[in-house]
Amino acid sequence: MNIHEYQAKQLFRAHGVPVPGGGAATTEREARALLKEHGPDVVIKAQVHAGGRGKGRIVKRDRTSRIYNDLISEPDRHEGQITGRRRGGVRLASGTEEALKEFRPMMEQDARLVSIQTGPDGVPISAALIEQQTSIAKEYYFSIQVDGANGQPLIVASAEGGQSIEEVNRTNPRAVLRVPVDPVEGFPSFRGRSLASRLGLPSSAIRPAGEMFANLYQVFADMDASLVEVNPFVLTGEGTVLAIDGKVGLDDNASFRHGGYEEWRDRSQENPTEIEAEEANIGSYIKLDGDIGCVVNGAGLAMATMDTLKLHGGEPANFLDIGTVNRKDRVIEALRIIVNDPDVKAIFINIFGGLARVDIVAEGVVDAVRELNIQQPLVVRLNGSNVEEGRRVLHDSGIAVQTADELGDAAELAVNAARTSKRRSRSND
Amino acid sequence: MSILLNNRTRLLIQGLGNEGQNQIRRSLDYGTKVVAGVHPGFRGGDSFGHGNHDFPVYATVSEAVEKTQANCTIIYVPAPGAADAILENIAAEVPLIVCITEGVPVHDMIRVRTALANSRSKLIGPNCPGIIQPASRCRVGIHPPDVFMPGNVGVVSRSGTLVYEAVDQLTRAGIGQSTCVGVGGDPIIGEQQQAILRRFNSDPDTDAVVLIGEIGGLAEQAAAAYIKRSMNKPVVAFIAGATAPPGRRMGHAGAIIEGEAGTAEAKITALEEAGAIISRSPAEIGSTMRRVLEEAGKYQPPGPPAE
Repeated sequence: MNIHEYQAKQLFRAHGVPVPGGGAATTEREARALLKEHGPDVVIKAQVHAGGRGKGRIVKRDRTSRIYNDLISEPDRHEGQITGRRRGGVRLASGTEEALKEFRPMMEQDARLVSIQTGPDGVPISAALIEQQTSIAKEYYFSIQVDGANGQPLIVASAEGGQSIEEVNRTNPRAVLRVPVDPVEGFPSFRGRSLASRLGLPSSAIRPAGEMFANLYQVFADMDASLVEVNPFVLTGEGTVLAIDGKVGLDDNASFRHGGYEEWRDRSQENPTEIEAEEANIGSYIKLDGDIGCVVNGAGLAMATMDTLKLHGGEPANFLDIGTVNRKDRVIEALRIIVNDPDVKAIFINIFGGLARVDIVAEGVVDAVRELNIQQPLVVRLNGSNVEEGRRVLHDSGIAVQTADELGDAAELAVNAARTSKRRSRSND
Repeated sequence: MSILLNNRTRLLIQGLGNEGQNQIRRSLDYGTKVVAGVHPGFRGGDSFGHGNHDFPVYATVSEAVEKTQANCTIIYVPAPGAADAILENIAAEVPLIVCITEGVPVHDMIRVRTALANSRSKLIGPNCPGIIQPASRCRVGIHPPDVFMPGNVGVVSRSGTLVYEAVDQLTRAGIGQSTCVGVGGDPIIGEQQQAILRRFNSDPDTDAVVLIGEIGGLAEQAAAAYIKRSMNKPVVAFIAGATAPPGRRMGHAGAIIEGEAGTAEAKITALEEAGAIISRSPAEIGSTMRRVLEEAGKYQPPGPPAE
């Protein structure tokens, strides 16, 4: 789960990581109070979960897809600007009136931020972060993530900050330092000072940078984070360090220890269908471009099902891992999501029961066909736990369904069903 | 008797909630030797019965091991307590720990991996289907037992349901399995694919291996490096997610380490260069293995079950 920059900075501040003075505002009143305290020279940053916001653009809803198409047709394009007429997601201003001129368009009712990562609809802007401008001598990169192969935290740092670390890694891999963290020791200040020194920070900044790195590690540990990233942190004109950006990813699996991370979550930044899937307890749903709606158990089999459809010339309309099915209403909820997608021309249900029992899946399918009045052709492939009962349930129900025992055969049926269904809907037009 | 399990495996089940009970009944029906349960304050009292089988239930793993000489634990404990259960088994020096649980926090797994490094225990999982060995009727997991058949092909996979899919195809193609291992789909797991390949490589009961990977991480590259260096048995590989849209599962963090390495194409290339035989379609794993075995003269038509 991602959180906003202003929330990441709240966490940083609470853990003693130096950040610029400022805060988030959604109303003009809040903005004025922040400007009075931290002005006159400020930076105003749109708060969205998508990346690429500096190069992105703040526009009204009716213009988002045009801007998006411009951005993706030219990957290096800067659509938005930091000052001037074309408003990007990060803006500079001097004085209260100028700052409010930047603040208002961000908080307008139908304002959206479009970046290369948002898709053609853009994303709503949840708040504006208003901060003091900083005098920057040099920019650096710092992050803590989980190194799965070695089973320990990994710190990545570079003296070439403020740009994409993937890009630095490609062009100058020696400029990227990797420091594995012993999880028993953690990351005490002396390790931080040693890293600061390797990054070539001046002597005045070694101690504060060491403290900052150690404190960022505390954020990572205390919050059950999967990522803490500061790009950039800067060496200021005064010779000390400051985290001027902040990104924190939280581990959804650990939410039970943190009150569900409710205070950090912002549902306005999430895809509504994906929220619906989550509320129905469906493992995972991702919308795709094709026309065959898929309901599968297990992420691996769900991906393999998409792969098989494509090899047979079909296109999946979604990725859906239904998880372990032990109640039939879960099947109905999953099919409701699929049926409500106007792109779906045929439905492919592929369940290989282990923990999941396929007789319960079959009962769910029968109920769903009746309850949801499913019109699209339905292909069902069941295998695994209680498969005989499952096939009997489908057969005895008399619902219109095509079945196959093997994955390849079933995928072929689904691809043909989608083709026929598309032809039919075209001839009806 | 192939890898990890054998007919001397004495299974301990930890977590006798509804799902644990359902699954252990199916393992008992399959023929697995279950010697003990651990479930503090178990509502069924101090033993668990199913048909002709029953086993004692203890409050702690160390007591269960001491009283029953259990040498393998299957953990069905829910996510908040799963890491604690693994650590308890490491402390009790249980040689093989299999954790089925999905949703274990990654920071918990960092602690587990640290404890494992200085221990006598090996861990499979979490977030995995477990291990099954058809010849010894040993089911340590959540598999649908009917699709499995004894034979000479090993299976190792990150995905659980793809183990079942691959095995179903193998069995339909007349190919039995020596041992099937689901290593788990989480960022941090116990034994990874290459460690399982190493076990299969020195296992006299395994003549070939099915390797099933998926996009994200670097585990398949590590497996490819092992295959290139040391593997002297054929490996048939499938990588799931070749058609998945990029960027959703691999977040920024993964991309920093991996770059392009996390894509299916990069993994397929690495495995192909290492000498693995790639099944591009997940529906052709069984037929590909059949061809490979026949070419190697290792195809054994299924006979009557061995006594």
